[in-house]
Amino acid sequence: MVTVALDVNPAHTYTWIDAAAPTHPSLIDTGHVTGELFGFINIPMAVWIDEDGMLVRPAESATIEASPMRNMEIPDGLPERLTSMLREVKKIPDVTEQYRAAIVDWAHNGAASPYALDPDEVVARSQPRSDAHARAAACFELGQHLLHTVGHNAAVPWWRQAHELFPENWTYKRQAWTLVTTAAGDENDLMQGPNDVYEGNWLDDVIAGGGGEAYAVVPAL
Amino acid sequence: MILETLEHVHAAAIADRTGWDAKPQGLCRGELCVPAPGALREDGTVDVEVMAQRLGMPLVHDAEHGVWALGPATATGRALSTAAAADPELIDRAGNPFRLSSLRGRKVLLVAWASY
Repeated sequence: MVTVALDVNPAHTYTWIDAAAPTHPSLIDTGHVTGELFGFINIPMAVWIDEDGMLVRPAESATIEASPMRNMEIPDGLPERLTSMLREVKKIPDVTEQYRAAIVDWAHNGAASPYALDPDEVVARSQPRSDAHARAAACFELGQHLLHTVGHNAAVPWWRQAHELFPENWTYKRQAWTLVTTAAGDENDLMQGPNDVYEGNWLDDVIAGGGGEAYAVVPAL
Repeated sequence: MILETLEHVHAAAIADRTGWDAKPQGLCRGELCVPAPGALREDGTVDVEVMAQRLGMPLVHDAEHGVWALGPATATGRALSTAAAADPELIDRAGNPFRLSSLRGRKVLLVAWASY
């Protein structure tokens, strides 16, 4: 296994990596390059690569353990927005057990696994890429570049364009939302709530996109 | 791919970032080659505008800061043009470069995550 964190600021990943103390290669992609090259539009997503460097499954949602948030009972007294967010999380389709079993099958059986796809199928099942999607990728990358070379304000107009052109790309939106303050003094705000910089926010955009049911690229196993 | 000029963009740099190799027979990725007369110049640089047009790559310009971004190809209408895995240079926790090709001969489950 290889993990890759899609984060413009590598320092934001360190706490997580250090806590996990991984024994596998744990990489950081500060340019969201793997998103563009493999088709990751949300996290967590994964691709499978065989011994010859050929993809045998395209980018798809990848969980091997059910999130505790999925099965927990939502406590009373939480802020209304957080309660609504947890309700949407519970709606995200769960194929955790099937996906884990498919990985194990591929690990044992390689190309003979029914879950290992041929090259044409891999390309055909990869994420759609329209002209608008490609332009969104360029806008997002331009924003990343200006974030690092000029400053955050220079990135915002390009990231707003990227969000408008490709609203289904959650990495573009979630990355941008974390860099605007939606809770006092907290730059890396996981609530990703309404803010003065971008049109959207996590909860309202999830609902507008069809709810938690439509949030993930569910593996077709 | 970020470009600070559209002149003197070397084919090797384009290939490293986009996976598309500018060759005499065209723009190639894996087994796929798209004819692109004029894309590869004799000095080994690429006419980025020809490449962008042939592969359906958007070329976005920020005039104020003098920089362009070359977006991904839309030639197949999918995120992947080929099943050959891309091999970008990434970094590890210590900042050391790492390429997936260093793991050839082993199966790789590449999992994307983020702090957000």
